[in-house]
Amino acid sequence: MLREKGFNAFIIVGGLAAWRKAGQPLESVPREDLVKLPTFS
Amino acid sequence: MAGRAAESPLVYFHAHDRPGFSDYKTRIRDCGGDRLCGGDWAAGSGGAGASSGGRCGGGSCLAGADFAAADARGDLAGDTLLFYAGRYSGWTLLGWLCKVSANPESCILRSAESFYKRGKTTLVVAKFIPGVNTMGPPLAGSMKMRFSQFLRFDAMGAALYVLAYFTLGYLGHDFLKAISSGFHTAGRAIEEVLLVGAVVYVIYHLWLLRKNRVYRVVPRVQVQELMERLASEEAGRVLVVDVRSHGYYDAETSRIKGSIRIEPNNLEEELKKLPKEKDIYLYCT
Repeated sequence: MLREKGFNAFIIVGGLAAWRKAGQPLESVPREDLVKLPTFS
Repeated sequence: MAGRAAESPLVYFHAHDRPGFSDYKTRIRDCGGDRLCGGDWAAGSGGAGASSGGRCGGGSCLAGADFAAADARGDLAGDTLLFYAGRYSGWTLLGWLCKVSANPESCILRSAESFYKRGKTTLVVAKFIPGVNTMGPPLAGSMKMRFSQFLRFDAMGAALYVLAYFTLGYLGHDFLKAISSGFHTAGRAIEEVLLVGAVVYVIYHLWLLRKNRVYRVVPRVQVQELMERLASEEAGRVLVVDVRSHGYYDAETSRIKGSIRIEPNNLEEELKKLPKEKDIYLYCT
């Protein structure tokens, strides 16, 4: 879909798991990006 | 068991569908008398065991109240395991349960919202609703319901469930023999349905595989290749984009440093935020 819209898109083989396995840097997901699901607490 | 009970035909029932108990079979002897009997009975048999309680005249028989109480305890034990599995696995367990859904992300969201809107009392009736009976306890755990609260509502549900089937079984014990062949037929039908379901599942995944092959026209890059680009002068042209969805339900989750997130279920809108002059590297889990 990205390509259809004119974006030059690539896919990282293995995704986050491969990135982590290669020992590359990670960061915590910012609080505002977290999807808030309902909780009873 | 000697005498009349030993000569009685054995009646087999499948326990209700629940992880950990799905293959369990309850063997009940219709042995006459005024007490309920569970031949090779074990806790956790669920309502099917309760409904099949005939009458018994001796041997290894259980009093009706003991039978019902042990049955409810088995239900509660299984639900408690699922509750804590949901509590400690976060949304992973739910994601796994939703895996067969066409859209796991929306399945998780829908299940959570539906459970939240209908309130805790859902647990009281959940055992009567196929599907909800499996999802209810892990949902309650994932949604941080207090255990004491869960136990209260789930105990009410278990009591109601056992009582309903117990009463049904007691009142209808004369018909049990007549309907036992029906259970066998139903069992065979369920096996066929499961077989068809498995075939459909395999076909669906083969279809996904074929579909993904079509999408392989999108270039794929190895992590090392991307790292080299990020370390070069072209780094400013690179945008790493996280397209995971359900990974964002857990506060402890991490992502590639410097990446941004787009919501895959709202791609049309999200694409408006992306710069066309950059090379976009997508990743998921």
